[in-house]
Amino acid sequence: MEGRPLKDANFSGIWSPETIEAIQEKADLGRYQIRGQATKRRDLPSFDDLVFVPAGLSRMPLEGYRERCDTKVTIGEGRVKRPLVLDRPIMIAGMSFGALSVNAKRALGRAATKCGISTCTGDGGMHPEERANSAKLVYQYLPSRYGLTPYDMRKADMIEVVCGQGAKPGTGGVLLGTKVSAEVARMRDLPEGVDQRTPSRHPDWMGADDLPVKIQQIREAVDYEVPVSVKVGASRIADDIKLIARAGVDAIVFDGMEGGTAASPTIQLDHTGIPTIAAIAEAAESLRDMGLKEDIKLIVGGGIRNGADAAKCIALGADVVYIGTAALIALGCHRPIHVEDYHRMGTTPYECNHCHTGLCPVGITTQYPKLIERLDPDEGAERVANFLNAMTMEIQLFARACGKNRVHDLDGNDMRSLTIEASMMTGVPMVGLNGRVPAWRTY
Amino acid sequence: MSGKAILTLDSNKLSVHEVNLAIRKAAKDGIKTVELLNPMARHNLGVAITDPIHLVYKGDVGYYAVSLSDQVSAEIHGSAGWGIGDNLIRGEIVVHGNAATAAAPSLRGGTVVVKGSVGPRSAIGLKSGELIVGGGAGYMTGFFMQKGRIVICGDTGDAIGDSMYQGAIYVGGRIGSVGSGCRFVDIAGPERDELFATLERYKIKAPKAFQKVESDRSLWHFDKKEFEVWKDVL
Ligand SMILES: Cc1cc2nc3c(=O)[nH]c(=O)nc-3n(C[C@H](O)[C@H](O)[C@H](O)COP(=O)(O)O)c2cc1C
Ligand code: SF4
Repeated sequence: MEGRPLKDANFSGIWSPETIEAIQEKADLGRYQIRGQATKRRDLPSFDDLVFVPAGLSRMPLEGYRERCDTKVTIGEGRVKRPLVLDRPIMIAGMSFGALSVNAKRALGRAATKCGISTCTGDGGMHPEERANSAKLVYQYLPSRYGLTPYDMRKADMIEVVCGQGAKPGTGGVLLGTKVSAEVARMRDLPEGVDQRTPSRHPDWMGADDLPVKIQQIREAVDYEVPVSVKVGASRIADDIKLIARAGVDAIVFDGMEGGTAASPTIQLDHTGIPTIAAIAEAAESLRDMGLKEDIKLIVGGGIRNGADAAKCIALGADVVYIGTAALIALGCHRPIHVEDYHRMGTTPYECNHCHTGLCPVGITTQYPKLIERLDPDEGAERVANFLNAMTMEIQLFARACGKNRVHDLDGNDMRSLTIEASMMTGVPMVGLNGRVPAWRTY
Repeated sequence: MSGKAILTLDSNKLSVHEVNLAIRKAAKDGIKTVELLNPMARHNLGVAITDPIHLVYKGDVGYYAVSLSDQVSAEIHGSAGWGIGDNLIRGEIVVHGNAATAAAPSLRGGTVVVKGSVGPRSAIGLKSGELIVGGGAGYMTGFFMQKGRIVICGDTGDAIGDSMYQGAIYVGGRIGSVGSGCRFVDIAGPERDELFATLERYKIKAPKAFQKVESDRSLWHFDKKEFEVWKDVL
């Protein structure tokens, strides 16, 4: 933004400085822009459009710290030999070794283990350090099939078949060459330093009709031991959920358009998919329509920042929330240390979205040994575990305040919408109407 | 060790799961060969077999036969459905008939031989190993191929080898078109001799000559401004 007037500038709403910069960057590069993190749109419907309406006299609250408030979730109960038991309704989202450094993987694994929840391999295969540090590990089965072996599938605690993600539904993955180190290249069978792209479709099945056969193959491979889920990006979510449910899975994972990424086309981050809050309502309704809401767990991600967002997801029908970016921020992403390195990339802490460059100043999204060393896995694990504890307490706080002794008993009636849009999307009653249908003409 | 050389299973009388468990147990027990009667194009017969064994399928198989497996050899006396040999690590699979779409997807090693033709989108994301086809191959075969080789004696559809990173595709017949990021290269004498010897070993009638396709590396880096190439692949 060098040369940009500092104040009192008469910027255009259409040709804003950001738009001008984007056009000039494309003119320079000859391709679309790529970056990490997530969409920066400020106009999306959000969890902030909902509030809880806790107990008063019409309901009794539970005593905080005294009365139990269960948080446990079991995926695949009664369906597989070794269901995945999560002590809290939170999972660390799939983030690949390659996108993340090995120390980030170690830290997330240790934190999740402390908190009795899972981490997920992401693309690129199962790194032995990740398996060693994470007691509950979900293994992603993706179009790329990088590093895939039946041996690693059998080591997994759940298999997640990936058909898309919220940051870039409908497209494959990207990992720029600066992150395709010798080890990453070996694990993915790629030339070192190549700008890696992956296909958007699986190599050996096409549509919803083939999916049940694929799921059966995976179940055979893991001998019906562990649960199997399918992940999509939230776009045509109501129909997608029905097609996945019909294929006979134990859980469905999706993240909304706010979902994080290590590298995606910028234009896609802002213009594809639907917001998480809208998607959950559609997804839960699809499962209810099919009578499968109790059998198939709904794992929801995309822009979840705290226990309030998580509790709202659960009240709208999610069984588990799936967090990527928030876990990375707890780990130290955007931390104002090594600030000169942020500046060298042309950014600052709090606005950084440079995960794609491989130059992460805090050692999280990099493969350079000197930068990786900056992240101490034990310290990182403690910070993430602290955050997960805080988030769990926050979820319980809302549940107790609403008089629920299981966080999963939260429902839409425990909330009100602050906006008409949120109310229409989620079915959560609008504040101030007390369930009335507005009758404008009475005054 | 049971000492038994051959175990015969009738897939008509067993569930898919029972077939897979029986094959795995036989391999663990050191049985050399499992003969599978009446596969009747059922899916997922022979999944995650990771101890050495030889499988003989007496008929057509459905999707994902001999998939997610290691150290396995197999003969299929019939045709194969989608994804034959999916993710094979080590071993050899010979299909005496044709194979449908997506033959030999994402192989990690070993050899898949199809005496007839293979459908489109075969050997996508090949990571090592080889697919050898006596007949032709459909469009987008070798898409995103990473390593290894594909040998096609007959004609191919369009976009062969599109976006391939490494590895080589040899085609004996007419090529519909090559995909983005590919080029034709000459074949060295010893390379040609080895190809013909391989085909002879599998008793496949060799074409007169082969054309060889490999990556031109134009898609290896995003900093290239070759829009003519990128516009088709992105
Ligand atoms: C650094 C990073 C790497 C990611 N890698 C993958 C991946 O390999 N596979 C995948 O399905 N999703 C991947 N994702 C998406 C996450 O699994 C998840 O859907 C998303 O982060 C959820 O949104 P949130 O970041 O707002 O919590 C990645 C996200 C991030 C931030
Ligand atoms: S600090 Fe690192 S992880 Fe965070 S946005 Fe910047 S590059 Fe990505």
